[in-house]
Amino acid sequence: MSVLVAVPVLLPLLAAGLALVLSQVGQAQRVIAVAVLAAVMVDAAVLLAVVDDTGALVLRLGGYGPPFGITLVADRLSALLLLVSSVITLAVLAYSISQRVTDYGRAPSSTSFHPIYLVMCAGVALAYLTADLFNLFVSFEIMLAASYVLITRGTTAKRVQANMTYVIVSLTSSLLFITLIALVYAATGTVNFAELEGRVADIAPGAQLGLALLALVVFGIKSAIVPLHFWLPDSYPTAPAPVTAVFAGLLTKVGIYAVIRTQTVVFTHADTWNLLLFVALVTMIIGVLGALAQVDINRLLSFLLVSHIGFMLFGLALFSPLGLTGVILYILHHITVQTALFLIAGLITRHTATVSIRDMGGVAGQRPWLAVVFAVPALSLAGIPPLSGFIAKITLLQGGVEADSVTAYAVAFGAIATSLLTLYAMARIWVMAFWGEPPERAPDKPDAVETAGSARPMLLVCASLVAFGLVIAAAAGPLSEVAGRAAVNLLDGGVYRSAVLGGDVR
Amino acid sequence: MLIAIVGHFLLAALLPVLVPRYGRAVFAVGALVPAATLAVALSAAPRALSEAPPVETVSWAPELGLEVALRFDALGLAMTVLVSGIGAVALLYYACYAAYERAGIGRNAVLLVVFAGAMLGLVLADDIFGLYVFWELTTLCSFLLIGGDGVGAAERRSALQALLVTTVGSLAMLLGLITLGSAAGSFRISEIVAAGPAGPLTGVALVLVLIGALTKSAQLPFHPWLPAAMVAPTPISAYLHAAAMVKAGVYLVARLAPGFGDVGVFQVMVLGFGLATMLVGGMRALFAQDLKKLLAHGTVSQLGFLFVLFGAGTRTAAIAGMVMLLAHGLFKAPLFFTVGVLDKLAGSREMTELSGAGRRWPALAVVTALPAASMAGLPPLLGFAGKETSFEAFLSGGVTATAVLIGLVTGSALTVAYTARFLWGAFAAKPGVAPVRPPRHAGFLLVIAVLALAGLLLGPLVSALSPLITGYADALPGDPSYEPALWHGFGVPVLLSAGVLAAGYVLHRVMPRRPGGSLLPGWLDAQRGYERAVHGTDVLARRVTGGTQSGSLPVYLGVILLVFAVVPGVTLLAYGGVPDAFRGWDNWLQVPLTVLVVLAAIGVLAAKRRLTAVLLAGAIGYAIGALFVVHGAPDLALAQFLVETLTLIVFVFVLRRFPATFQQRGGHGFRNLKAAVAIGAGCFVAFCALLFSSLRTADPVASQQYATRAKADAGASNVVNAILVDFRAFDTLGEIAVLAVAVTGAATLILISQRTVHHFEASDEPDRERPAWQHALVLDVFARALFPTMLLFSVYLLFAGHDHLGGGFPAGLVAGLGFVLRYLVGGSTELSSVVRVPPLALVGAGLGIVAVIAVAPVAFGYPVFTSATASLSVPLLGELELASNLAVDVGVYVLIVGGVLDLLRTLGASLRPSEADIVVEAGERR
Repeated sequence: MSVLVAVPVLLPLLAAGLALVLSQVGQAQRVIAVAVLAAVMVDAAVLLAVVDDTGALVLRLGGYGPPFGITLVADRLSALLLLVSSVITLAVLAYSISQRVTDYGRAPSSTSFHPIYLVMCAGVALAYLTADLFNLFVSFEIMLAASYVLITRGTTAKRVQANMTYVIVSLTSSLLFITLIALVYAATGTVNFAELEGRVADIAPGAQLGLALLALVVFGIKSAIVPLHFWLPDSYPTAPAPVTAVFAGLLTKVGIYAVIRTQTVVFTHADTWNLLLFVALVTMIIGVLGALAQVDINRLLSFLLVSHIGFMLFGLALFSPLGLTGVILYILHHITVQTALFLIAGLITRHTATVSIRDMGGVAGQRPWLAVVFAVPALSLAGIPPLSGFIAKITLLQGGVEADSVTAYAVAFGAIATSLLTLYAMARIWVMAFWGEPPERAPDKPDAVETAGSARPMLLVCASLVAFGLVIAAAAGPLSEVAGRAAVNLLDGGVYRSAVLGGDVR
Repeated sequence: MLIAIVGHFLLAALLPVLVPRYGRAVFAVGALVPAATLAVALSAAPRALSEAPPVETVSWAPELGLEVALRFDALGLAMTVLVSGIGAVALLYYACYAAYERAGIGRNAVLLVVFAGAMLGLVLADDIFGLYVFWELTTLCSFLLIGGDGVGAAERRSALQALLVTTVGSLAMLLGLITLGSAAGSFRISEIVAAGPAGPLTGVALVLVLIGALTKSAQLPFHPWLPAAMVAPTPISAYLHAAAMVKAGVYLVARLAPGFGDVGVFQVMVLGFGLATMLVGGMRALFAQDLKKLLAHGTVSQLGFLFVLFGAGTRTAAIAGMVMLLAHGLFKAPLFFTVGVLDKLAGSREMTELSGAGRRWPALAVVTALPAASMAGLPPLLGFAGKETSFEAFLSGGVTATAVLIGLVTGSALTVAYTARFLWGAFAAKPGVAPVRPPRHAGFLLVIAVLALAGLLLGPLVSALSPLITGYADALPGDPSYEPALWHGFGVPVLLSAGVLAAGYVLHRVMPRRPGGSLLPGWLDAQRGYERAVHGTDVLARRVTGGTQSGSLPVYLGVILLVFAVVPGVTLLAYGGVPDAFRGWDNWLQVPLTVLVVLAAIGVLAAKRRLTAVLLAGAIGYAIGALFVVHGAPDLALAQFLVETLTLIVFVFVLRRFPATFQQRGGHGFRNLKAAVAIGAGCFVAFCALLFSSLRTADPVASQQYATRAKADAGASNVVNAILVDFRAFDTLGEIAVLAVAVTGAATLILISQRTVHHFEASDEPDRERPAWQHALVLDVFARALFPTMLLFSVYLLFAGHDHLGGGFPAGLVAGLGFVLRYLVGGSTELSSVVRVPPLALVGAGLGIVAVIAVAPVAFGYPVFTSATASLSVPLLGELELASNLAVDVGVYVLIVGGVLDLLRTLGASLRPSEADIVVEAGERR
């Protein structure tokens, strides 16, 4: 059974190796990549079912227990994130293949996209599953190294400069991460999450808080928490649509996951953490104001991404079951919706041959299905009912109201204001791009890459993602129950600890 | 009733199929569901008015308190009659009206039916989330219906305004409702009202909820969105923006009044804003030129009136509210319909352009006069009954009630005046204006007449509605004997009514016939307020973003380092204490090496030439390698030395394409600032290292265990190797995946646009890719001679790693350096003669080998990455210990060799002239 835990990491890595060996055979690469990611998705679904039944599934690699070897743990949170992430990675892969993003830079028959993409998927999965701080670093490295290549792949010299912002900031964050690991190891003598909890509790409270803050900053860079977010809107929009989409959907969420995991399992916060609440508020507001200042649709969405990270911090900062349930639901919702929006933005810019919403117009009349497919996730992001964003938002609001403190209410107000401004931003896209007259001027010939292939399969992929978002909303009942149990596990920590530390070890 | 709501949505989904065949008749099809709903609601009326009204619930996410609960009670019934009844009539009217419309028939039909369903849900929902869901759904329908096909600028602007203003309120309302529900311990509205929680928090929550009601019902100061929404086709204005949707706010106040009517803040807000709106709306209506705008302002005014009645919290006022609620729906919709008819058939809705319509089409004038009379409060129409009762409700009371009464009387007089003006404007013959000649249209007339007659009949029959009206009003305190009736006998209300009529008529007479301007000062213009708010938000967004998003990488990095150092730093300084047990060094050799590292680091920053900087960076690496040696970690040191060497060579390759010196950017101030931040962050890390090392409370178990268990468990006496290939082999797998990606990525980046070479090919111009020094004969011979030795040595390192210095990493690097040497002397031609496998396939194979070794134990029932050892006796070599984890070393080895080869291939290709200049450019601009 425990091999299920390793599949999402090992299978894509194995497939990546195979895909590199077969780098002359594009068709084989495509088949391998799709099949493997589909298999990972099935595995994640089974994992979720099993884990929700039994509590947590542990894999001690090489049979070595902590602190000796590396332990992988699938608990409810990991399994939930893994499932949604695997759906997203599969969808983005399908979109990339339809758009032929996979091919560029080389002859159509050979490609490096698939192996790198598979490696990135393995890194994301590993980040969710590992119970070891150093292994978490490794997972970040896998994910980031792959992302450096994906963002710079098949692009122009001008874009490479913008991409360098991403690469250098990410390298800096890796440097700070490894520093953090050194400090944690120096103070505690272990890197295993479950062991860390007890060891961290032994050191002086001030130093505990210091370490917790260091961890928050380190993972905050990747999660784009204000004011560590500047790199994101400058770099994400420069990548091809599917790459931006998967980055926006998954990579920031992995950062948030790391924040959640470390701040619940390793460090303990008995009560609402006011500093984090404040950070959440600032992140929401600065992000959404940034979005309102944009006319580039991709930059606009990138700022909204930053803004909605604030919602996730809000729920975490409450450190209550309801708050964490809200965070989990919000992450699931946001991964799906943000990815869908970037993919759809890719279709919009492809159709209008511009990224500036000011130069767009009349898309709804010309491409009604595109309009429908855009409207649903856009409204969902703004938290309009009965979509997934609404469910996640009211859970967070309930959590905030339940906390019954002035700061929590202030952030709840901020969340409301952010929802409103998000809706404003989305309505502006709608009014400027989808309504109005189509622009008179003949559109410039867009990037050959952006218009390769037919739009229909890509639209179909977007529609499937939108449908998946609707499923999340419709299945809010069972999902919220699992998320609720996951939240309780996180706050209690006992399940995780006994799973990691108990049992037979070599 | 759940079926009715779902029925709306199902029908709406079906309509697009019918549009191509039936055209505008789909509106009539659409009217079927609301009509059926009305019939069902009326037949179920006795149950709704009983003690225990029917409740239906659909569970959604019980964990979150999320469900849709429908409760069909007296207020729900009244609203259903209004929503479905007028909905059906409005759709029928649209079926006629659409003959004169350009396009958008299918879309509007679908949206109207969806809206009717959503509105039904809104008035029946008994849980706050259900209410909110339907509430927002109506907002969206309104947005799309106002916007139409989105081509007109006015439509787009008005749609956006309606959306934003109502969403401000609905979001506030959501937060308020959650707070109320949280205080009451239930998210059911009926239970919240029954519990009637109190306290300051409840007050705040009520304010939030009321903001939702005020925005949705276009109350002061949010009202301008409603007149602006009049750009929509008239049936939509009549239904959404007069009869149904804008009643949602009134409905919410009516819902909450039984529980919160006695709360001060509730009364102040509802009465205050309601009265002000009634007066301001009435005045605006009086000055309007456009008949539709006149009605819109009139609606705003009437909604204010309804707010006052429902918010007063007394039984009599509630009775008046219920009567007025029905009356308003019945008179306002037909008045809008008439305007639509005139607009389409007479070609105008400006009162200055319409002349003689009454003489031309008297029947229309008559069916319009009936609802107009009801609006003015003339007996025996329903509006009269409502107005009478509302005066009665505030007659006997304190100062507040009297003030309200004065306001109501004034507002009513304004209503009479603008009603008279409406009739005059629509139908009167005006001197100097050419009479209009609209064709007579029986369909329109019939639809309008239905509602006009309903208003006429219900006036005298209002007492028959008593169970419905008191079914709601009985929940409120007040005189229980008062019953709704058309005629309550002579009394003060009648006198007031007469006075109102007289005053209103006089007001109408004294009004100039072609008025312009307004009675209100400009700064009170709420429309300007909205525009300023939106503009202000945009400006704020631009300022904040412009001020923070500098686009400068050094600034971003500086902020990151500052936050990293300052936030935890302050905490540590405040509570963390100071490091104790400070030791200068463990071994005196560390001192000169550290000094070397620091000096070289400073040198890198100070260097003017790129080559100097690269060499100094290499010096840092070697010095750190030496520190590893001093610390007793030769394996690490070996890997470090080899990596450093390879990196230096690659750097030198790359540097050939760069200018020799750095170009300095930014002034001295900026440089100093950067230096200060960097040094500060470095010092902070050093401080942390000291602090946290001294904090350790428990010994690191792992490092001791690794040493003791390496041989037994991993079959390797070299602890570092045991950790890499066995204990933490999983990390190794991850790191080689990183390597594989980095190699592939470097290749794609270097050859961004022109990678077509898949194998090493003999180049036609070997000289051009060979650096000049490569012709040195000594080097040539030396390299060829050394190559086999290096390969052999690398194989030795690979197998020796388990027990001695070595392992897959250093072995691969040594082999790689051997290939580098061959490349240096012979270029790609030379390499292609040595290796025939594509380098990327080697990289893939290396990754694959390790992944397979990881999975293989699963087949034998062991966990992933379990290692096994076996003894083999081989002739000549004797007894050999073979551990399965050796394959990890082999995989690493293969991957690194492949990686180095791929790097050489791409670097070599990129060094040919006329290649893309991308790397160079990117590097320079940094």
